[in-house]
Amino acid sequence: MSTYDTFINKDFEELKEDELIEGVIRELTPGKKKYKSMYARFKVSKEPDKYPNRLFIRLGRGQLVQKPCSMEILEFINPFPEGV
Amino acid sequence: MSFRYYKDNREYIEALRKSGDLVDIHEEVHWDLELGAIIRRVCEKKAPAAFFHKITDYPNFRAFGAPIATYRRLAVALGLEPETPIPKIAEEYTRRTKGQPIKPKIIDKKDAPCKEVILLGEDADLFDLLAPMVHDGDGGRYIGTWHFVVAKDLDTDFVNWGMYRQMVYDEKTMVGPILPFSDMGKMLTKYAAKNLLMPFATVIGPDPLSAIASSAPSPIDEVDFAGMLMGEPVELVKCETSDLYVPAHAEIIIEGVIIPNVLLDEAPFGEYTGYRTSPRDKRGVYRVRAITMRKDPIMTVSNMGTPTDEGQLLRSFTLGLEMERLLRDQGIPITGVYMWPESTHHLVVVGVKPIYANIATQIGQLVFGSKLGPWFHMVVVVDEGTDIYNKDEVIHALCTKCHPKRGIRIEEHGVGTPLNPFASPEERLYGRAPKVIFDCLFPPEWPKSMVPIKVSFENVYPKEIQEKVLANWKKYGFPD
Repeated sequence: MSTYDTFINKDFEELKEDELIEGVIRELTPGKKKYKSMYARFKVSKEPDKYPNRLFIRLGRGQLVQKPCSMEILEFINPFPEGV
Repeated sequence: MSFRYYKDNREYIEALRKSGDLVDIHEEVHWDLELGAIIRRVCEKKAPAAFFHKITDYPNFRAFGAPIATYRRLAVALGLEPETPIPKIAEEYTRRTKGQPIKPKIIDKKDAPCKEVILLGEDADLFDLLAPMVHDGDGGRYIGTWHFVVAKDLDTDFVNWGMYRQMVYDEKTMVGPILPFSDMGKMLTKYAAKNLLMPFATVIGPDPLSAIASSAPSPIDEVDFAGMLMGEPVELVKCETSDLYVPAHAEIIIEGVIIPNVLLDEAPFGEYTGYRTSPRDKRGVYRVRAITMRKDPIMTVSNMGTPTDEGQLLRSFTLGLEMERLLRDQGIPITGVYMWPESTHHLVVVGVKPIYANIATQIGQLVFGSKLGPWFHMVVVVDEGTDIYNKDEVIHALCTKCHPKRGIRIEEHGVGTPLNPFASPEERLYGRAPKVIFDCLFPPEWPKSMVPIKVSFENVYPKEIQEKVLANWKKYGFPD
């Protein structure tokens, strides 16, 4: 199980069960690459063990939601134009 | 004529150590929040700068925190005595920067310390650089907090040095806001219209005067302005992957391109206002092509938050002096301009000889209408008898001379920034901000006999009594 976090620009209560998000997740494994961002499509559950990865939610100004969620990464997306 | 200054951060660090304005930290400190927390406390306590010798995961790096967060350190950076009072620092800064711009000098790569290590292509990895997690809740690790970004206009020779915060996104990518009214924002608009990549170079750990120049709101090109502060040309060296030039004595250079018309999530970040105001949002994307640096680089870190950090101090200092220049150029009979760092450069205090009616309104309209107007929204105008550097005196004037109705003038439709904590979400989105003038002047048309008399030691006692009291002060038993 890997641990990530993501930011949502709304209140936690507005996050729906199994909501599909296309956006940035951050790797939280300790070490030099901690907080590396990745652009992905992922599904979020408020149940901490439903999906293989643990996901912490932060609100738009960095407020941490203490209760962890779980997440399934459906695909990683390259946000950059070809060759850049 | 060159002035006394420090060619790089290392000489400056040594000067701060000698003046007692730096603490060497040999204890191992983690880059993930611990280093940031120490620097935050340094800022809030106005403590000496922090120099970190041992940082987890980054054995070849050292870090320099809160480099110019006090007026003592600013005085040292300018080669003055650390006790130099603020008006004297301002006088020296103004003296150096009112002459002719000094063009930079290009030096050979072999003489440039920032080229001791050159990492190109795949070897250039941002995670090999010490980028701290500055505050808990930030959107990422901020590598650019006390640095500047070099960019060149597409159609002219204009080169901008500006402090645009940069967050590490991945190995090759940084993100950060590039506000449309900023110099680099205007440049990027031109590149974006033609869908061209815009070269950039991030300069980390520049000498202190180049750092000051990059954050100064002067119409003079920043590199020439830095030369004026030094009294001799800044030494530059050419980048590896573009035609940009960077200070040869800096610690780290990150080269690459800004991708126009592509935005990625950045922030939140603890900002100069002392709040995290701007939310996570899509912002500018910098792709890295090369990193050059010294063999044992020193990362500079500013921790923005509640006062006082160097952003607040230097922006207040330089914005105030630029406003003073503007008002004097317009022939307004001002006696001085000052912005308290604690106001996070939102409040401009102007001293003036009130020789005609509504002069405070004229002053407010001029400063709000200037290019720098978006950065502040309050102007307090006091008379020449009020010490603009003295908070007690200004608060006294504000609370006694500013009429609660006719003394307060509000302009509803000003230009603001998305970072204003007081602004509504809609105002932040569109960069709108109301502005307010506090006129703390007794109207000049009042009959002389009707003007209240200020009851102070200096104002209501004969000169000979004042002199006698001052001469005998210690004899009376007072310590100072």
